[in-house]
Amino acid sequence: MGESLLTTHRLSNHFGMVCTARDLDLTFERGVLTSIIGPNGAGKSTLVNLITGHLPVQAGVIRFQGRDITRLPIHERVRMGICRSFQIVNVFPELTVAQNVMIPVLARTGRSWRPLRSLSRETEAMRETEAMLAKVSLLPERDTPANALSHGDLRLLEVGVALAAAPTLLFLDEPTAGMNPVERVRLLDNIRQLAREGRTTFVVVEHDMDVVFSLSERIIVLHRGEILCDGTPGQVRSDGKVREVYLGDDVSDLFRYREE
Amino acid sequence: MSAGYRNAAAAAAVLLALCAVPFLAGKFTTYLAIRIMLLGIFAVGYNLLLGQTGLLSFGHGAFYAAGAYGLGLFGVHVSNNPLLGVAAGVAAAVLLALLVGYLCVRHTEIYFAMLTLAFGMMVFSLVWNAREITGGDDGLIGIVRAPVSIFGMARMPIGKDSQFYFFVLFFFALSVWAAHRIRHSPFGLALSGIRENARRSEFAGVPVRRYRLAVFVVSGAFAGLAGSLEALLESNARPFMAHWTHSAEPVLVSLLGGLSSLAGPLVGSAIFVAMREIIQRFTENWMLGFGIVLLVIIMGFRGGVTGTLSALFRKAPARERG
Repeated sequence: MGESLLTTHRLSNHFGMVCTARDLDLTFERGVLTSIIGPNGAGKSTLVNLITGHLPVQAGVIRFQGRDITRLPIHERVRMGICRSFQIVNVFPELTVAQNVMIPVLARTGRSWRPLRSLSRETEAMRETEAMLAKVSLLPERDTPANALSHGDLRLLEVGVALAAAPTLLFLDEPTAGMNPVERVRLLDNIRQLAREGRTTFVVVEHDMDVVFSLSERIIVLHRGEILCDGTPGQVRSDGKVREVYLGDDVSDLFRYREE
Repeated sequence: MSAGYRNAAAAAAVLLALCAVPFLAGKFTTYLAIRIMLLGIFAVGYNLLLGQTGLLSFGHGAFYAAGAYGLGLFGVHVSNNPLLGVAAGVAAAVLLALLVGYLCVRHTEIYFAMLTLAFGMMVFSLVWNAREITGGDDGLIGIVRAPVSIFGMARMPIGKDSQFYFFVLFFFALSVWAAHRIRHSPFGLALSGIRENARRSEFAGVPVRRYRLAVFVVSGAFAGLAGSLEALLESNARPFMAHWTHSAEPVLVSLLGGLSSLAGPLVGSAIFVAMREIIQRFTENWMLGFGIVLLVIIMGFRGGVTGTLSALFRKAPARERG
C-alpha cells in the first residue's frame, strides 16, 4: 500500500450520552480513493468534522504527514493540505462564482494579505481561478453571484472552493446530495479525473451506494461510532456484519452490485 | 475598465468642487464642510469593519478620542507640529485598537458589539477621571494650530478655518483613496468572505481572527485620524468623543448612506451633519427629528440612500435596452 497521509489514533467524540466516535484508528493513504459509509448517525460527518478541525477533539490523536495536528486551528490544517466540502452548501452567497474560488486561491498563495494592491492586477490568481472553474465546468457562470446559481451548480461550486485550496487530502461530505442524474455524472467524472491526476487524495462521505461502489477503491463502514468494516468494495459487499446493519433500503443496492 | 475611468472622473470632479468650497462659501459652510469630512473619515474607515467585514462595533469613539488626546498631549508636551501631532494621534489610536481588538475579535455578533461597547465606556471613564492628564470633564485645552512645516521648510499656516480646510481635505482624500484601495484589494476580498461566511473562510485557509484584528486596527486608525483633526479644529479634546453615543455616529451614518458602497458613509455623513444643523434650528431635541428620518430611510430605502439611487440608475438603462 501507498504512503500514509493521515492517521487517527483512538479518536473519540461524545455528544452527551451519544457516542459518535469510539477509539477510531484509521489510516488514509495517498492516492487511494476512499468512501465512508454507514447508516444515519453512524458518525461519518463527525469523523470528517474531527479530522478537519470543525469539531474540537475530545480524545485521541490525529497526525498528518507525521505531524500532530490534533489541536491545530482550521486555517492551518488547510494550509498544510487538509480541506473539505460541506454536505449543506456553504459558500460565500453574495460574492460571484469567480470571487468564491479566488478567496482560497489567494489565501493559499499568501496573497490575501495585500491591503493596497488592486485585485485586477492579481492576474496569476485570476488565471488559476479560471482553470479551477473550467475543471468544475462553471467557467460560463464566473460573474454570477453564488446565490443565483442552480442547486447543481452550487454543489459544483462547493467542491470547486474546496479544491481551490489545492488540498493534499480532500474530504467531500455527500457531494452529490440533491443533484439530478446528469449533474451527478458530471461531478463524479470530475472527481475521478482529478483523482487520476494524483495531486489530491479524495475521501468521500456518501449515502448513495451507486456512487460509493462505482467510485471507491476502499470503503470504510461506520456504525455507532465504530468501524464495522474497512476494505475493498468486494470485501465490504461480502461482509456479514455490514449486511446485518444494512437490512434496510440499502441492502438491495449493496447486493445488486455483486452481479456486475 | 470604463466604469473605473468613470469613477476616477467623478472623484476628480468631487475633489475639484471640494477645493472650491472655501472660496465660494461662507465661514460657516466651510466649517460644516470640515465637520462632514471629519465624520466622513471616521465613517469610511468604520465601514471597512461593518459593511465589508460584517462586524458591528460600538466602541470606535474610544479610538477617535485616542486620536484627539494623542494629538493634544503630544502638542502640549512635545511639539505643536500638526503633522507630527496627527501621526501621534493615529499611533495612539492604533495601539489602543490593537489592545481592544485583540480582546474582542475572538467573539462575533452581539458579543463583539457588547465587548466593544464596554471597552469604549471604560476608555470614556478613564479619560473622565484622569483629570491631571486629560483635564477630566473640562476636556484637554491648549491645543493650537501651528503652521504646517516639513523639516522647517515651506511653512503653511492653518490658523484660519479656510486654511485648515485644505489640511483636512488632504487627509480626507487620502482616507477615501485608502478605503477604496482596501475594498478592491485581495485583503478586501478576504474581508468580504469573512462577512459572508466566516467558517468557510477558515476552510479556505484564511486566518479569520487575524484578519478581523487587522481590519479592526485599520478602522481604528481612521477613527484616530478623524479625532486628531477634530482636536485641531476645536482646539480641544473632550471625553465625550469616547462616549458610546459618539461611537454610534458612524453606525448611523453608514446605515443612512448605505453599507455596501464606498460612497455610502460619505453621503450619510453629509446628510447627518446637514440635517443636525437644520433640525437644531427648530428644536432642541434634534435626535427626535433625526430618528424619524432614519426610520423612513431604513424602512423605505433598502441599502441606504446610495443603494436606492444606484438601483434606480441601474434600472433606467435596462428599460431602454428593453
